[in-house]
Amino acid sequence: MARRIASSPSLDLVEAAPAPVVVRGPAWDGRYTVLILFLPPALLLFTVFVVVPIGEAAWYSAFSWNGFGKPTNWIGLDNYRFVLETRAFWLALRNNGLIIAVSLLVQLPLALTLALMLAERFRGAVALRMLFFMPYILAEIATGLIFSFVYDGDYGLVASIWRFFGAEAPHLLASTDTAMLAILIVIVWKYFGFHMMLFIAALQGLDKNLVEAARIDGATRGQVLRHVVIPLLYPTIRLSVFFAIIGSLQLFDLVMPLTRGGPADSSNTLVSFLYNNGISRMRVGYGSAVGVILFTICVTFAFTYKRWFMRDE
Amino acid sequence: MNSVETTRPPLDPVVLYKALFLAAIAAFVLVPLLATVLGGFKSLGELRVNPFGLPQHWEWQNYADILFSKRYWQLLRNSLVISTLAVTLTLIVASMAAFAFAHVRFFGSSMLLSYLTLGLLFPAATAVLPLFIKVRDLGLLDTYFGVALPQVAFSLAMSVLLLRRFFKDIPYELLEAALVDGCSYIKFFRYVTLPLSRPILATVGTITFVNSWNAYLLPLVMLNTDELYPWPLGIMVYQGEYSSEWHLILAFITLTILPTIILFIFAQRHIVAGLTAGAVKG
Amino acid sequence: MRLLSKLGLAATAWLLALGAASADTTVKWLHIEVNPAQVKIWEEVARAYEASHPGVKIEMQFLENEAYKAKLPTILQSKDRPNIIYSWAGGVLKAQVEAGVLDDITDQIKGYSDTITPAALAAFARDGRNYGLPIALSQVGFVYNKELMAKANVDPAAIKTWDDLLAAVKALKAAGVTPIVVGGADKWPLHFYWTHLAVRIGGKPAFDAALRGENGGFAGETFQKSGELFKQLVDLQPFQNGFLGFKNPQAVGYFGDGKAAMTLAISSVYNLQRALAADKVGLSEDKIGWFDFPVVAGGKGAPTDTLGGITGWLVTKGSPKEAVDFLKYFISKDVQTRLASGNFIVPVVKGAEAGLNNAFMKRIADNLSKSNYHQNFYDQSLGPSVGRVVNDVSAEIAGGSMNPQDAAKAIEAAWKQGN
Repeated sequence: MARRIASSPSLDLVEAAPAPVVVRGPAWDGRYTVLILFLPPALLLFTVFVVVPIGEAAWYSAFSWNGFGKPTNWIGLDNYRFVLETRAFWLALRNNGLIIAVSLLVQLPLALTLALMLAERFRGAVALRMLFFMPYILAEIATGLIFSFVYDGDYGLVASIWRFFGAEAPHLLASTDTAMLAILIVIVWKYFGFHMMLFIAALQGLDKNLVEAARIDGATRGQVLRHVVIPLLYPTIRLSVFFAIIGSLQLFDLVMPLTRGGPADSSNTLVSFLYNNGISRMRVGYGSAVGVILFTICVTFAFTYKRWFMRDE
Repeated sequence: MNSVETTRPPLDPVVLYKALFLAAIAAFVLVPLLATVLGGFKSLGELRVNPFGLPQHWEWQNYADILFSKRYWQLLRNSLVISTLAVTLTLIVASMAAFAFAHVRFFGSSMLLSYLTLGLLFPAATAVLPLFIKVRDLGLLDTYFGVALPQVAFSLAMSVLLLRRFFKDIPYELLEAALVDGCSYIKFFRYVTLPLSRPILATVGTITFVNSWNAYLLPLVMLNTDELYPWPLGIMVYQGEYSSEWHLILAFITLTILPTIILFIFAQRHIVAGLTAGAVKG
Repeated sequence: MRLLSKLGLAATAWLLALGAASADTTVKWLHIEVNPAQVKIWEEVARAYEASHPGVKIEMQFLENEAYKAKLPTILQSKDRPNIIYSWAGGVLKAQVEAGVLDDITDQIKGYSDTITPAALAAFARDGRNYGLPIALSQVGFVYNKELMAKANVDPAAIKTWDDLLAAVKALKAAGVTPIVVGGADKWPLHFYWTHLAVRIGGKPAFDAALRGENGGFAGETFQKSGELFKQLVDLQPFQNGFLGFKNPQAVGYFGDGKAAMTLAISSVYNLQRALAADKVGLSEDKIGWFDFPVVAGGKGAPTDTLGGITGWLVTKGSPKEAVDFLKYFISKDVQTRLASGNFIVPVVKGAEAGLNNAFMKRIADNLSKSNYHQNFYDQSLGPSVGRVVNDVSAEIAGGSMNPQDAAKAIEAAWKQGN
């Protein structure tokens, strides 16, 4: 899954060697006008609202502070210890792991299979693509509410299925055993279409000659798929995995309408844990410590992943 | 018997399984959505016994009440204002920066660009508490800008990268010729780069719009007055108020996701293009 | 010259008129009441106040209970904050006073304050200064459905001890009746059990000692035992199917629908269940009853000790003086009598309890007047961050994911961490 509508494997784009125009002569000072006028707005906004807050999070995380006035009660690394001692934090971490596992083991194969089917031209293929993609652009909040109806033990679709078999319906979102499972299903529902689209776009960009050549050499459909198409898709698969993991680390909106992280903190993600335990209790120090931990996980992951899995691109 | 049948091409079982599989997935996607739309047409009593099917009595009242309420339109207006602000600012700020990065060589260019792309690495949530305090100290709590500005800041990285790559594809000779003719960089940006870049601007704009339109966490933290609430916040309040009256909540959900679906139908090209633009660069 | 001065005068008059027009004051009043019948009365009071005070507008805003608690810290920091906010007093109030986000209204309520029950007024004061006014008292106890209790041959009047309650739950289960409904998703309805058990087991001395950090603080014996007894109940699976997913209003509606025999709730549920029942009718007065929270064998608390709330309204920093003026109008003998006679509240204005006209609410009022130790809700009295941990662990015990000892330790750890 990937939470925000995003469009590229991030880091890679920077690497593309820049080939700026080399300008000599009279236009020389025009360059500086551009730099002075065009760069500061972006850099300023980015610094004030992205970089500085991250730095401040590190600073605030050393205080016990309720957000009023200025932080004065310095407690060093205690907030980190408090976070690590909170059982719900480890549950949240486990849940993020579960989301990643489901993304890789269920969502990715599903998306790939569908992409292979729908990349071909047949009547209805485009309509189906769009249909499968649609959940992705719906707001997480709306999706969460829709599924809290679907799962509702009294009114929902699940309830009526159970009633059909004459049993009392379980409240999936209300049990510590099933709440996270229910959320995982919603995650697949919402995000598989995005990954499918990634694969379709990749398939359409494939060199058809390679496939043709293999066919002429007498390879079966299955062999072509296994030995030609899938290997050609590796970059996209790695990209899809990257999005799934980053997306899992940001998941929040979907959890709130479904369970708010409950029951008994069994379905928190790292971000909903941060909201429930930091923001809504106005424990700025504690919440900032969670933020810093999350930040560290994200950055470490991004760099490691890039180094180990995307280096050939 | 058999010989007659075989005059038609036999139904390939692979095709059949494929069709069944696709139908099952389509149902998986569609059923919750249809149940939501139809649920809004039912009474609470009927919803309980018949959550799936078509309503026996079409209750137009649920939808009508919402459509004629000030609340619904206020939520949509707020969302529209915030998203428009975010899109406008993102396009202006990001395209200027992207232009500088694409066409001007200067010391530290690649360093600054790497600095901006740090924004891709972590979600806004990590810094949301300090961000709240920052916005408060700037006096922007409870304003549209308090939500829109952080949104712009967090979408800058992606936007600048996308725009820069597109700008770089504008032929170098064009810029050189223009400069020799005494045209300034700024004029070139205004009269050549921007008009040529409409597709990518539309793509970046659409992505920013959808993200901002759907956002929940930032408005939740930054806004406190319900007159300013965008629709994701408003619908959560609505749900808190009508807790189990699902028929009303479903009607409300339907009407609030409607604009997204309409936008999707008209702008699907840009949305899909936006997400695949970088992915398949090869 | 004369022309000029005339012009000047005219301009001044115009400016003054403008000033007068903009002197219209809006008082923003944020509430969390979900009972439409009660909100309607409030609205009428607000409109009546506007009619008799031209130029003042009372603007009512609503937030759902849990959303309100989660958002309050940020709400108080915004420029455009509401002027009058709901409060349960306690440690949350203390934190707000220390943060300087409330108005000191002591001087404005001089004279008027004598009309209020002193104990209730004191709950909204710190160091002799008043920051808000109480509106109602409440008690936590069991509300039951007579029909369902009879179906299982349980005599509610005979439930005196914790073991009696456990026996009643078993009997109800055996008869196929859902014994208890609770809004577990909101967590605080579950914390009533844990807290009230602590009140019964240790009484006031245990709570005060824990605050001072004596006897192991909140990790001490009293609080471990509360968890253990609560777990005895949980192990019987007394709650409705899916109780951890029910928000409080849903749970109250469930009781109003006649689907569970009991609910441990704030006394106002008596009235609220009707509004939140699916048919908007709920259970009529003769179909429901009340019994006090059972005592615990060997407990140090007195049977008359009560757990409950003192709820009221606070005035936020920088509010117009009309905010306090309106509160005085709103919490007057007239309006309180009216709310009491609708059985919405146990009133705080002296003499207004005469309005109470049914046995149920009279009994609550009577209980409260006899109580020597009225414990405010823990999730409020312990302050915003520790209080929420009490809620967390209560839900964890109920969900079976935490044992009573760890629960008590978690609260003590939070108490030591402070903010």
